[in-house]
Amino acid sequence: MKTIAIYNIKGGVGKTATAVNLSFLASLDGANTLLWDLDPQGAASFYCRIKAEVKGGGKKLIDGKTDIEEAVKGTDYENLDLLPADFTYRNLDTFLGQIKDPVNRFNNLLKPFAEEYDYIFLDCPPSISSLSESVFAAADIVLVPTIPTTLSLRTYQQIIEFFQQQGIDQSKVLPFFVMVDRRKKMHRLILQHPPSFMSSLLKSYIPYASEVERMGMHRAPLTVFAARSRAAQCYTSMWDELRLHIHLLD
Amino acid sequence: MPDNQHSFIIPDDQSISALVSLLQKTFSVRVQAETVYHRVFYDTFDWRLTKNGAMLEVHDDGKSPRIYWRADKDGKLKIQLGLRKVPRLAADLPACELRQQLQSVIAVRELLPRIKIRIKRQSLAVLDKNEKVVVRLNLDVYWYSPSKLRAAKVLTRRLTIKAVKGYAEDYQRVEAFFVDMQLQSAFDNVMKLALITSGVSTGEYTTSLKLRLDPDMPDEQALKIILLRLLEIMQQNTAGSIKGKDTEFMHDYRVVIRKIRVLLKQLDHYHPQAISTEYKRFFSRLGKLTNPVRDLDVFLLQLDNYQPDVEKSGWQQLQALRDYLLLSRTEAQNKFVEEVKSSQYRETIKQWRDYLERSATQNDTADKPGKAVCKLADELLWDINQQTLKQGKTITDNSDAETLHNLRKTFKQLRYLTEFFSSLYPAVELRVLIQTLTDVQDNLGVFNDRHIQMGMVKAFINQSKNKEAIKTAEQIIEILEQQQHEAGKNFKENYAAYASSGSQKQFKEMFVDYRRGKMKL
Repeated sequence: MKTIAIYNIKGGVGKTATAVNLSFLASLDGANTLLWDLDPQGAASFYCRIKAEVKGGGKKLIDGKTDIEEAVKGTDYENLDLLPADFTYRNLDTFLGQIKDPVNRFNNLLKPFAEEYDYIFLDCPPSISSLSESVFAAADIVLVPTIPTTLSLRTYQQIIEFFQQQGIDQSKVLPFFVMVDRRKKMHRLILQHPPSFMSSLLKSYIPYASEVERMGMHRAPLTVFAARSRAAQCYTSMWDELRLHIHLLD
Repeated sequence: MPDNQHSFIIPDDQSISALVSLLQKTFSVRVQAETVYHRVFYDTFDWRLTKNGAMLEVHDDGKSPRIYWRADKDGKLKIQLGLRKVPRLAADLPACELRQQLQSVIAVRELLPRIKIRIKRQSLAVLDKNEKVVVRLNLDVYWYSPSKLRAAKVLTRRLTIKAVKGYAEDYQRVEAFFVDMQLQSAFDNVMKLALITSGVSTGEYTTSLKLRLDPDMPDEQALKIILLRLLEIMQQNTAGSIKGKDTEFMHDYRVVIRKIRVLLKQLDHYHPQAISTEYKRFFSRLGKLTNPVRDLDVFLLQLDNYQPDVEKSGWQQLQALRDYLLLSRTEAQNKFVEEVKSSQYRETIKQWRDYLERSATQNDTADKPGKAVCKLADELLWDINQQTLKQGKTITDNSDAETLHNLRKTFKQLRYLTEFFSSLYPAVELRVLIQTLTDVQDNLGVFNDRHIQMGMVKAFINQSKNKEAIKTAEQIIEILEQQQHEAGKNFKENYAAYASSGSQKQFKEMFVDYRRGKMKL
């Protein structure tokens, strides 16, 4: 089982769209895939037509009082399951903060899935907290969608510094550009000359595209309703690149 | 059957479209695009997986094959993996549990696609009031052709309902719908169904002779029956030996050549002089061509085992030796393939078969001794047993590899001849004697293998300019010497057991007294 977190401190950078599209592409390969919607806003759950609700809420899940496997719902797609969001996830940090070894506890939560799933995608909320620390420790890969602008690059640098400070293996961080608008000079420049601290930058990037926004209307991954769109094809290229990377991890 | 799905057999008189219409009257159903995929069941040439209750299945939709491994007797899925390429050998897989489990069953044998079933699938989804998929259904038509020459026919038609996690009640409603229709559940696996249809028996291949000779059968007739069976095994292994991927084919091919040569050598007076001379030469040449290939296979297969005994700094250098051995193997294999693919080879084999198939009553032997096969077997086995003892007496601590190799060859002759004539003797007692023989033969085999392997490593050293690689190769020679020494020590013990009066009494009882009715069994 490989755990792939999609994370950024910033909101609105396309984390959920990435998590939904990549997990769907993984399931299309025939891989048993679980998407855990960790964001209390529940956008990934919404895209999957599943109510953002977990019986007993986030606290009972963390405490192990709710059987995490029972909370999983099947999506409309074969091989893709979802662990829905819950509004109480807004307090996950507090719950994790109250226990002795939050990193280990979070890791233990994922253990029951190891036999059943090939991939777990974690759609993370935009913050830096005990939850994100636990996610960083548990993940094999941390994908960081980054808009090619100065401020977004600065945010990415902060994430890297955080990894350094916490002594977390930086090699698991894979940034990629998202919402790329080639009409904008800055986007073009950054794309051509990415900063040196983005050494592990993925070659694939996601363009700014209205189809991505339409995912909310269709409540489905791009490949389902706009397979030929450029954005869908870019996600497919990204999954191919990522698969290769995952293969090298083995 | 997993508890989250249920398969039913679609009755012959029920059309798929009628079934869909029926379902649509009760449930909100989305009909999805029709797809085609293949289920390919892999097994080795000799059906090792099936014989061991394991199953390796690949679902191939033309894009990304997925491999399913079942090793439990209950057929439960043990491991599933998404792979870009289906492994042909266990060693093709990265180090993982599947590789380990697979290796324990198939060892070095190649996986071949044994049963290929084409499935035309109509997928349906049952939706709830929010248009969320709550149950999945597959209507599958399985097409199967037992051979490329025969048109595919419908093997079975199945309806499978699959639960979607979190929607158990919906699943139960759909399941009850089909149970009420009195559809019959499908429990059998489609591979078994295909095997029955094709009439293939998984026990069909064996290198064992499996011959039942009548003790009173004329000796010449019996010899031809044995030689024909050996030819059959040889031909079963020819294509695989030419392909060269699965080393066991070459192993079986070489062993059978040796067996034929033993019969030709020991009983050459049973054949006309010209035949005897021609085929002794022919099979001897094949022996010479196959020896280096098999010797290199054996060494390459065990090379990794030496890694822990070599200094860590030399691990990478093992690759240089491996590359050298692989190159030598390719050269040896090419020579073998060139020979076996030649028209002369084909013609010789054909003539050999014609000769063997000719009735034994035809007067084509120069000097026909004409005795019952049991008498021939007794005399021959006792005689060679005596030869082993005579040769064995001359072995000392200072005996060279060649002397031991000659003794090994005599033991092999005895071992093979015992196998040819095994149906003429009481099975249990014979098995005990064969075990005594095998123990000695194994020691001599290891002794000889190490001798040959040292020669290979020395040849590598002579041509290498890489000092580090030479250093590692010298360490390998030390290990081989040690193992040879060990085999020599074990030989002494096992030979002493074989030559002991107790064992020899059993040999005498079997090959001298048994036929005279003096054997106490």
